[in-house]
Amino acid sequence: MPYERVLMQNVGVPNSTSLQVYKAAGGYQGLVKAFGMKPGEVVDLVRQSNLRGRGGAGFPAGVKWGFLPIDREITYLCVNADESEPPTFCNRITIEHDPHMLLEGILIAGYATGSTVAYIYMRGEFMEQFHVLQKALDEAYQAGYFGKNILGSGYDLECYIHRGAGAYVCGEETGLIESLEGKRGQPRIKPPFPAIEGAFHKPTVVNNVETLACLPHILTRGLDWWLSLGTEASKGPKMYCISGPVNRPGCYEAPLGITVRELIYGDDFGGGMRDGKKVKGVFPGGLSVGVLRGDIFPKPPDGQVDPAKGYDELDCILDFDDPRHYGLLGLGTAAAVVIPEDVDIRDVLLNVTRFYSHESCGQCTQCREGTNWIYRIARRIQSGAGRSYDLDLIAELTENMGMMPGLSICGLPDGAVYPIRTLVQKFRAEFERHIAAQTPDAVAKTIKAINPAAYELPIQEGRALAHVGGSMQEIGDRL
Amino acid sequence: MSWETIDRTTVAEEKLGPGLSAAAREKIRTFFPRYPSKRAAMLPALHIAQDEIGYCSLRAMRDIAELLEVPPSAVMDVVTFYTQFWTHPRGKKVITVCRSLSCELMGGKEVLAALKEKLGIDEHQTTPDGKYSLVTEECLASCDHGPCMQINEKTHKCVRVEDLDRILSDPDNDKISMPRSDIFDAPQKT
Amino acid sequence: MPKIIIDGKEVECRAGISVLQAALDAGWNIPHYCYHPGLKVVASCRLCLMEMKMPHPQTREPGWAPKLFPACQTPVRKGMEVRFDSDKVRENQKHVMEYYLLDHPLDCPVCDKAGECHLQDYSEQFGNATSRMVEDKHKNPKKDIGSHTLMYSDRCVLCTRCIRFCDEIAGTGELRKVNRGSRNEIDIFPGEPLENELQGNVVDLCPVGSLISKDFQYKQRVWMLNTARSVSPADSRGSTIWIDYNKQGVHRIRSRYNPQVNEWWISDEARFGWKYINSDKRLNTARIRRGVSWEAVGWEELPGILRDRFASADENATAAVLSPMMSCEEAWLLAKFIRQVAPRATLVRGYVPIEGEDKTFPKGFVIKAEKCPNRGGVEQIIAHFGGNSMDFDEFVKAAGAGRFKAAYVVGGYPKEWITEAHARAISKIEILVAHDLFPSLLDQHVAVQIPTASFAEREGSFVNCDGLLQPFERAISPLEGVKADGQFFHELAGEPGLFRAEKFRVSVAGELEMFAKVHVPPDEPKYAH
Ligand SMILES: Cc1cc2nc3c(=O)[nH]c(=O)nc-3n(C[C@H](O)[C@H](O)[C@H](O)COP(=O)(O)O)c2cc1C
Ligand code: SF4
Ligand code: SF4
Ligand code: FES
Ligand code: FES
Repeated sequence: MPYERVLMQNVGVPNSTSLQVYKAAGGYQGLVKAFGMKPGEVVDLVRQSNLRGRGGAGFPAGVKWGFLPIDREITYLCVNADESEPPTFCNRITIEHDPHMLLEGILIAGYATGSTVAYIYMRGEFMEQFHVLQKALDEAYQAGYFGKNILGSGYDLECYIHRGAGAYVCGEETGLIESLEGKRGQPRIKPPFPAIEGAFHKPTVVNNVETLACLPHILTRGLDWWLSLGTEASKGPKMYCISGPVNRPGCYEAPLGITVRELIYGDDFGGGMRDGKKVKGVFPGGLSVGVLRGDIFPKPPDGQVDPAKGYDELDCILDFDDPRHYGLLGLGTAAAVVIPEDVDIRDVLLNVTRFYSHESCGQCTQCREGTNWIYRIARRIQSGAGRSYDLDLIAELTENMGMMPGLSICGLPDGAVYPIRTLVQKFRAEFERHIAAQTPDAVAKTIKAINPAAYELPIQEGRALAHVGGSMQEIGDRL
Repeated sequence: MSWETIDRTTVAEEKLGPGLSAAAREKIRTFFPRYPSKRAAMLPALHIAQDEIGYCSLRAMRDIAELLEVPPSAVMDVVTFYTQFWTHPRGKKVITVCRSLSCELMGGKEVLAALKEKLGIDEHQTTPDGKYSLVTEECLASCDHGPCMQINEKTHKCVRVEDLDRILSDPDNDKISMPRSDIFDAPQKT
Repeated sequence: MPKIIIDGKEVECRAGISVLQAALDAGWNIPHYCYHPGLKVVASCRLCLMEMKMPHPQTREPGWAPKLFPACQTPVRKGMEVRFDSDKVRENQKHVMEYYLLDHPLDCPVCDKAGECHLQDYSEQFGNATSRMVEDKHKNPKKDIGSHTLMYSDRCVLCTRCIRFCDEIAGTGELRKVNRGSRNEIDIFPGEPLENELQGNVVDLCPVGSLISKDFQYKQRVWMLNTARSVSPADSRGSTIWIDYNKQGVHRIRSRYNPQVNEWWISDEARFGWKYINSDKRLNTARIRRGVSWEAVGWEELPGILRDRFASADENATAAVLSPMMSCEEAWLLAKFIRQVAPRATLVRGYVPIEGEDKTFPKGFVIKAEKCPNRGGVEQIIAHFGGNSMDFDEFVKAAGAGRFKAAYVVGGYPKEWITEAHARAISKIEILVAHDLFPSLLDQHVAVQIPTASFAEREGSFVNCDGLLQPFERAISPLEGVKADGQFFHELAGEPGLFRAEKFRVSVAGELEMFAKVHVPPDEPKYAH
């Protein structure tokens, strides 16, 4: 039986962003249903559904809502629309094609948690999407879905879109809250968790766009339908993204639990590799979860999963648990990018390390210095002056940056070390091949040129560029 | 050089740049009721300032500080944290090329190189006629259409090197197809 | 008092503090940069990470948790067990110290912090001797950020103590971070310099050589300095200070921890306002007027001369002006002397300089308007001796009306304090003894002039605005030609032997209770900073 899309039911429908079209497809019925229940009952329903957060951490939404203190006066709902994890774009699809589904989800979550104000934190780069969502919001306000006494239920909710301005770390829930409060988006130390003390020092719920978009469907279609989808511990549908050189890059909805191979090669998904190339590797859940080996590697003997051995890992199941067996961080955002066989792995490493170095907020020493040091090493390796030792060094540094939890304030360095470490480990042979092919004096020459102090004192003068081609100005160019 | 000392305690008048108009201030005030603190209107205020002036000038930062009742340094702190805010004038249209992995795999580097050559500028630079500034940015969340780039508010998808001439010569290359909400002005009125 | 276990040893600690503070209190040397007990916890330097025993998620069996916890952010709980003495913890410390040195210019030979820098100390104690980084170093500039402060960005460890100080304690928020990630820098808004009245504290707070005091820069290497425990005479708050000095004199003043008074902070006035002690205008000879000219006298002759002079005057028309710049001991001895020679002499509470109003900062730090350290002490002593007394204004009026024939007037203020009106009134006193720091308008009317020593050259105690009597030590010997006031009054009052403030306080403790209640603030734990 072909799977019937729900989260993407309106994608491709003409005028899908309008309230009229959304309502015609049964929109806002979930909200009506929720209003017929007590808020606590909605929380219970969501808890029973085991709806796990789609933002990356996979924390059950119902449980998170249950952490809110009982005697709270004000609750804020923050909608995490800061989708910045490369190469993830499923929230963009929802906002662009079905903004009312998100708004209905916000209303249900707001009602269940007793929130009075919802802030949609939208990344600054979403400019077209801002106008789409703002228009939908205006329309919903006009139709009485927001404001005072919504649909005669006695429930009030104000909703505002708060535009970010370009910072990945503002997707981290406490970074988001700081940014919302008008500060630099530096994640906060926890405890206290946002449910206890979040935005403006009040209990706050932070949920991802897709998590919220699931809510109307849980209410209208019921628990049985929901629990019939997905795998053991990962229930419900998921919007999978696939990009890179595949035949049909895009966002595809499926019940949780498809394999990476299906996502790349399935006719309903990626439709295979462009020009019949083979897969060298794939980041299956956004960069931060790490990399899997592609089908240029030999197939594993049946049922064998061992990231230490050099097998094809495309049979990894994309639910909340299986990726861990492959040495990955988790499901992440379930957005895959495929590295074709002919791409130099050193370029990939450089791109990945640059991203984290550029996006670290800079509070924690490990994250601020570590990401940048690794980036500088990767730059040298990519320029053809790598050493085997660099690979060991990178592996060691990642060990001390995020492999062990608790080393830093937020999860960014954890997200940084998984791709970096898995790249260096799983593709070590290729790095070594490149290093072996370098000219013999390349390393000495390069190091002497960039840091003579590493060879002789005194230290070189003149300012180095922290980010070659960063989107911030160079250090020398100050206010 | 480390033996040189930069004097931060004084600032030349011409470095302050333009301040906020009364209309922009009014617009910023309309955001106050949204939040329990005035300071939370910081990002909207900076967007408004940048839309009006083209960048976040020192004087505009001071004006915002006054409106939000924070020290000017707090505004500078925020401005420099986010990559979208500019602290010096930029071109009428800002081209932001995605440099993250999907786009790079799809040819983003080539697009960037071609743009640099066509515009005759490097990243962070502005063409002499003030028409375009060029920057790169991490993933724009349109990876399925890589390589992509934004010209002001408009996202151009699946950009090929051979499309660039057409895109650059189109006067409406920054116009978006959906109706604009007027909560924020279009970037760079000037 | 909860008990916790650190590295297998049971430690008793104050409730509500962090594990880091408990460990520091108990003498552990735990590296830390961002934590400061007076500031909000940000837990961002990640140096203080420790291991902690937690119940196993399934079996509830307590065991070492696989992760590390920031000690500065973890409050003490009864019975908790933590350890710093483990490979995991040391490994982390080593890595973090390596990170700090990546872009550091290693310019210790020209850095003023060298010798008291926690980057040096921790690198040696917890770090690695060599750097494995061969990449290009980031270079950040040196910046002039305020009238007293220079910022060497590339030495900064981004602990944000300075930022939090300006936000929380001073409430002015001049310092901020700019940029993000590895390009973070501390900076001010251009043209809005660091100019709050507590700014000097950021230099004390900075664990490394990033914030440098212009005042002290390139003056001395810190290992050439000795330090004395003193109390600032700048205002009536009685902030406790360290006086760093050597044979060449005083070089700087730093705040000394005092939880009941100034906590970790002092005002800039206390920190930088001491330069007058080196002024070449200071009086430096004891002398007697002979007609129109002066004649220098030896210190040993002075007591006799003064006794004779005061004895010759009418005891009802005799007064001693006890300056609130004097220590309690000095005031006591002078009062004792004057009542010996003239039992009905009037004791006058000296001039109390008031400048503006008290200034209270957000977290309660106060700069007092009363710019003298010991009004409280002098008042108690006058009350103790009883008899005739008045305040300075009454004294001036009475002197102008010809009520006094002989007076011993003590000054000691850093600023000019005698107005023309004062001088006119006081000039009516025939036998006028002035004991002061600087020349004043009184000079032409004075019969005997005695130079006083500055606070750094004396020992004694001050009673602050809250009634706390706090002792202070002598840092340097008095200017040539000057005698420490305590010793001089000691001899003047006919006391035997050498003046030792502490011994003196014990000897009079039975007579005046305040001398029995000496407030000595606790030292900061050895490894706290
Ligand atoms: C560095 C970092 C970046 C993150 N970025 C995002 C993001 O862009 N969007 C998102 O929804 N969650 C992001 N998260 C996850 C959020 O912290 C948080 O788990 C999520 O918003 C919770 O919503 P959910 O429970 O609905 O998934 C990020 C986390 C980290 C550590
Ligand atoms: S881990 Fe990195 S991104 Fe997260 S708070 Fe620390 S420095 Fe910032
Ligand atoms: S200047 Fe000093 S106090 Fe301020 S952040 Fe840097 S190291 Fe810390
Ligand atoms: S990688 Fe370019 S838009 Fe995501
Ligand atoms: S993290 Fe604990 S002292 Fe900095």
